[in-house]
Amino acid sequence: MSFSSLIQTVDLCKSYDNDGVVTPVLYDINLTINRGEFISIMGPSGSGKSTLMHILGFLDLHSTGKYLFQGQATASFGDDDLARIRATRVSFVFQAFNLLPRTTVKENVMLPLLYHPTIPPSEREERTLKAIELVGLADRKDYYSSQLSGGQKQRVAIARSLVTNPDVIFADEPTGNLDSASGVAVMQALQKLNDDGHTIILVTHERTTAEHAKRIVHIRDGRIVSDSTDFQRAIAGKTEQLK
Amino acid sequence: MRSPDIFRAASKGVTVNIMRSFLTMLGIIIGVGAVVLMSAVGQSMQGVILSQISSLGPKSMVIFPGQQEGGPNAVATGHDSLTFEDLRELEQLKSIESVAPIIFVPGITSYEKEEGSPQVLGVKETYFKNQNIFAATGRLLDESDDQGAKSVAVLGSDTVTKFFGSNDPLGKRIQVGDRHYTVVGTMKPIGSQFFQSADDRVILPFSVARDATGQKYLNMVTMQATDSFDIALEDVKELLRRRHGINNPKDDPKKDDFVVRTAAQASTILGSVTLGLTLFITTIATISLIVGGIGIMNIMLVSVSERTQEIGLRKALGATRQDILLQFLAEAVVLTVIGGIIGIVGGITFAWLLSFIVRHFLSTYLFAISPVATLIAFIMAFFTGLIFGINPARQAAALQPIEALRYE
Repeated sequence: MSFSSLIQTVDLCKSYDNDGVVTPVLYDINLTINRGEFISIMGPSGSGKSTLMHILGFLDLHSTGKYLFQGQATASFGDDDLARIRATRVSFVFQAFNLLPRTTVKENVMLPLLYHPTIPPSEREERTLKAIELVGLADRKDYYSSQLSGGQKQRVAIARSLVTNPDVIFADEPTGNLDSASGVAVMQALQKLNDDGHTIILVTHERTTAEHAKRIVHIRDGRIVSDSTDFQRAIAGKTEQLK
Repeated sequence: MRSPDIFRAASKGVTVNIMRSFLTMLGIIIGVGAVVLMSAVGQSMQGVILSQISSLGPKSMVIFPGQQEGGPNAVATGHDSLTFEDLRELEQLKSIESVAPIIFVPGITSYEKEEGSPQVLGVKETYFKNQNIFAATGRLLDESDDQGAKSVAVLGSDTVTKFFGSNDPLGKRIQVGDRHYTVVGTMKPIGSQFFQSADDRVILPFSVARDATGQKYLNMVTMQATDSFDIALEDVKELLRRRHGINNPKDDPKKDDFVVRTAAQASTILGSVTLGLTLFITTIATISLIVGGIGIMNIMLVSVSERTQEIGLRKALGATRQDILLQFLAEAVVLTVIGGIIGIVGGITFAWLLSFIVRHFLSTYLFAISPVATLIAFIMAFFTGLIFGINPARQAAALQPIEALRYE
């Protein structure tokens, strides 16, 4: 077990219990992600890739196994601990953008800072403007989300995800609702963040989107079937010896 | 989340859909507005009643002939228990500073072709002092008018307007019944006393009124205590009971053949009126704020349901249960507080308009608001938001982030 790893799961399983009917979703996930990586988790619909992302992003809890974040076991975390980690260590870019309606770009990007326990209010403005500038929307900062195109909305979501300078950014099908040109722009923005040192975990079923990552983890039926930096093998979904 | 951020987020939630927010707060607006308006009316009415009392002076008392049941309304209906002998002895009491007997003179009053029915009183010069009446033009009646039984009169301001318009009435001769009187003065407006206009009056010398009516008794006596009001009251009762042969050791007013009305009694009546009004207002406030609160809770529950994804997003971005709870609770409180403020402004505006209208009929009705009732209404609105907002806020806070994000 390496403590330099950012994320490590050991035999992690997830199942849902609906009135006594137990539905397993993830089986024995063993995964190690180091700081600065750009990983794409690929798989068809219903493969469990989004569930894995939600667990890694502290939006959901695993059922059995271990999840270590920066070497710390997370099983005993309560609601407030999870909220604190979401506020400070991780962030999300969703497929549906999830911007607040009738709210400006600036207000949307600033939103996570309201919940950050250590960033003082005096720093909010500067951090927000810097994040907006990084995604190239400085001239749109006072626009309402309804006045933006899909690609611009997703760039706002990316700016929002990096405003707290988190350890890892989770992107769940970030190009799913975009045309191809906007999709490329969004992926370039994420790639730039990775070049700047951010760890990015991308969940997608689109091959062209996954191509931007440096490592691809392929999931099928709740199991990791490949984990490779060899893009061709990973895309093919061939099982290789897992690291 | 810091308090200013919670407040900003709550305000944003309220202003996003202004029409819905306004309709939501309508119950609170009406509730608080009704309380402010009713308490303002109560305050103004207190002012009216107090002005009646203060126009007579705090040490004043009035004796009416007749029994308690008849009350002051029976004064003109022939009770003859207060005699001139009583008056002479009352004037001797050391605890009484001044005694002003009054005789009502019946009959139509006219000037040239104009006829009317002002209240015609025969009084001694002490009447003006006891009632705080001052001359507007000419002079008031004095001792020589009474002793000389002069056919002179002093008119109230409304009577002057009615008979003379803008002309000067001094020196003119008016007719009351079959006698004529020369107008020697007019009185400054007094307003109303016991809810009757005190300005539509013709005042004659006491001796003249006694002669005109042939009356051997008094209709009313006003008095001012020298010093101790209680001693004066006891002295008056004791004197009249002795003179009228009434044995009343238990001080039962029903046994007396006279009624003493005092400013203190008026204050007591005022107190019970105020208490009744307060209970009335409290009932209105409670009912309307409960109704308003249910409206707030209903809309907040809808709002939580509509904004489930937003709640999920906020949780994904790091909001704790407490952050969400406080945000939605603050929204409910902001709604009720804004509703409360609108209600207060509306209530005050209506109270002002009402006073503007009523003043034409009741000149002593002045615009007044009750700061205490207004403050209580506002605080109740605040707590209505807090109490009725807590359930929706708890529901919002309890949502799991991933379920809330997936909600459609």
